[in-house]
Amino acid sequence: MKRRGRGMACMWYPIGFTVAANPSAAVVKMNEDGTAVVLTGTVETGQGSLAVLGQIAAEALGIATDDVHLVSADTDATPMDCGAIASRTTYVTGNAIRLAAEDAKSVLFEVAAQVLGVAASQLEARDRTIQVKGFPRCSVPIGEICKRAQITLGRPPIGSASWNPPTVALDPESGQGKPFSTYVYATQIAEVEVDDETGEVEVLRIAAAHDCGTPINPMLVEGQIEGGISMGIGFALQEEILFDGAGRQINPNLTNYIVPTALDMPEIDVDIVQNYDPTGPFGAKGVGEPSLVPTAPAILNAIRDAVGVRITSLPATAEKVLAAIKAKRGDERKQIPA
Amino acid sequence: MADEQRVLERERSAVDEAWRGLDENARLPAAAPPKTVPAEPLVPVPGQQIRAVGQRATRPDSRYHGLGQTRYIDDLALPGMLHAKIKRAGIASARIKRIDTSAAESMPGVMAVVIGREFPVNSFGPTFQDQPVLADEVVRHAGDGVAAVAAVTEQIATAALEKIVVDYEPLPAVFDPLDAMREDAPKVHPPKGNICHSLAIRRGDVAKGFAQSDHIFEGRFTSQMVEHVSIEPHAAIAAWDANGRLTVWATIGRITLARADLARTLRLPMNRIRLIGTIVGGNFGGKNEISQEPALALLSKKAGRPVKGVFTRGEEFIASTVRHPFIMDYKTGVTKDGRILARTARLVLDGGAYCSWSETTLGKCCVLAPGPYKIDNVRSEAIVVYTNKTVAGAMRGFGAPQVCFAYESHMDDIATALGIDPLAIRLRNAFEEGSPSPTGQVLQSVVVKETLLKAAERFGWEVRS
Repeated sequence: MKRRGRGMACMWYPIGFTVAANPSAAVVKMNEDGTAVVLTGTVETGQGSLAVLGQIAAEALGIATDDVHLVSADTDATPMDCGAIASRTTYVTGNAIRLAAEDAKSVLFEVAAQVLGVAASQLEARDRTIQVKGFPRCSVPIGEICKRAQITLGRPPIGSASWNPPTVALDPESGQGKPFSTYVYATQIAEVEVDDETGEVEVLRIAAAHDCGTPINPMLVEGQIEGGISMGIGFALQEEILFDGAGRQINPNLTNYIVPTALDMPEIDVDIVQNYDPTGPFGAKGVGEPSLVPTAPAILNAIRDAVGVRITSLPATAEKVLAAIKAKRGDERKQIPA
Repeated sequence: MADEQRVLERERSAVDEAWRGLDENARLPAAAPPKTVPAEPLVPVPGQQIRAVGQRATRPDSRYHGLGQTRYIDDLALPGMLHAKIKRAGIASARIKRIDTSAAESMPGVMAVVIGREFPVNSFGPTFQDQPVLADEVVRHAGDGVAAVAAVTEQIATAALEKIVVDYEPLPAVFDPLDAMREDAPKVHPPKGNICHSLAIRRGDVAKGFAQSDHIFEGRFTSQMVEHVSIEPHAAIAAWDANGRLTVWATIGRITLARADLARTLRLPMNRIRLIGTIVGGNFGGKNEISQEPALALLSKKAGRPVKGVFTRGEEFIASTVRHPFIMDYKTGVTKDGRILARTARLVLDGGAYCSWSETTLGKCCVLAPGPYKIDNVRSEAIVVYTNKTVAGAMRGFGAPQVCFAYESHMDDIATALGIDPLAIRLRNAFEEGSPSPTGQVLQSVVVKETLLKAAERFGWEVRS
């Protein structure tokens, strides 16, 4: 008989390295027409980080996402970066790019201040113009300012900056300190169906509420969460590297090590919880790794809810779940008085 | 006559038509240039007002992916490029007595062979440099490389691996992390003991907390070893130019560190190395450090030609890093109404044969182990041990998925025993803005409760009586 159950799990997860410095540097170069090129040493590993970093640069410069081109991942051409690791790209590299854009913008403001006859502190960059705060009519197209800065004044608007999340080392005795600059939080709730005759578990749906600070690109946040859940399902139910007695793997192939496919995916309902972290670029934190963290315990708690067995060793394969169900039935039978 | 010509003409043009159609259809997506360029910007720019943050903007690489235009390393070739393969030990713990590569070197098509002792510095690693590029004296797990071959084709390189003779003297091995912690266990890195690293976090007084508790719950949870299973395997190309400058194209997520590691292993100044991170077909932590790159660089130098190496799926499992298996003992003291007064977590991580990212994983899981809860009395202890198994390294979550599995399973067990709704017990204990973390850090932008309530709302969670 197939039995349904529900289970929840919440989690916290830090952004960046544990205590160790993990800076990123960035360069923002404005072109004569007001478009921009960003140099970053991070690597696009499929998560869409270049889109997010471009959006951060565009927001800081008051231009469109399409106006920004990113050059990445070349040690000859791009500044140092600690890379696509520890869910740090949006937060750390994003902050470096935001600051580099501010640096380039300060040149534009100096030039625009002369043109508009106001102090640089009175200016803002938005809608592809440099304008007087609160007086959008009093504005100059950003391209004109870029061209004037470079060609008339000989001051090409190029900005550079670096950023490192502040941490405090852990006390060697008590472990007290500030190992990370910030954390994100999430909850996932799973509904599963367990066949109590075979032990097979099917994940029917998952509601996932995640905090990532400001979502710079909600579509990519959802993509990360959906991908993380797929990885979490494999961790919870299927994947395991097995060894023989001599320490050699016995299933190093995709025939005997089964990863979830599209057919294993449940219905996913993503909620990006409203939040703003003042230390992140435009309030953003990150979402890469946390997306997978609560999936397995949510599923395992749902299995317990469905058939009343607690699986304490991952993965909860059909064999393991069935054995636990049988053991529980055995225990229950023993309890009947003679 | 005219009719005949017309028929011929028609037939000829029909054939031309057919060919043209075939040609169109026969074009592989990977080779086809885009027939149109986007006339409109990919991202809608609404009028004058531009807000970049918060937009569901299209990724700059989406058209390449959609049109099959993305060039991964396996799509790249340089003139004269050779293909490399690495011979794996296949034995978990042994001393290498002799490596004979002469038969492989004399095979037609084999252009270079390298072994461990040819590297200027044969070690790397982000924390401890305890991992050899190719094992030269001791094999510490079955996936250790012992020799690398570059040949004109992948097939010849693979065949040449069979011709390499390695004499091993088997050494005692240890596979279970708890066994590895015993004094008399075989040492993976003698004379050093098998404890690679440890960390403890203490806050408050757990003994007092347990004494004040109405109930005490205990549980052991274990997790398995898993692989990242990126669709694209580890791949790289190494090529030298006439000035003795090395360029490496690699699927690596951390190019700055990778260049430093290359400079160290090859003893080259950093300005003579250019590392280009290509489009990575999945990383998940598995591509955060060098693997075969120094071997490819040395093969390329010896052969005088560019060399490409692509891991097989088997090597992805045995020779790349994996997720740490955990053994986790939890003990929690609670009040009748489910408030947590004290918690201890003792974690043992199976680090495999080399340190890799174990120290980072240890730090994160030790801090995170108590869970996102306000607990005044906490002790969290974690130890990572060496075993003669596949190297555990960075993997999405750095130990967090393992401890979350434990603390959230444990939480539900407590809720069930006390007859409290799982949502209610979490809301009762969850961090709030300004709560201190187990390391005493004052937390900001905390929204655990909000995520609990939002997820419950989306799911339709109802409290059962």
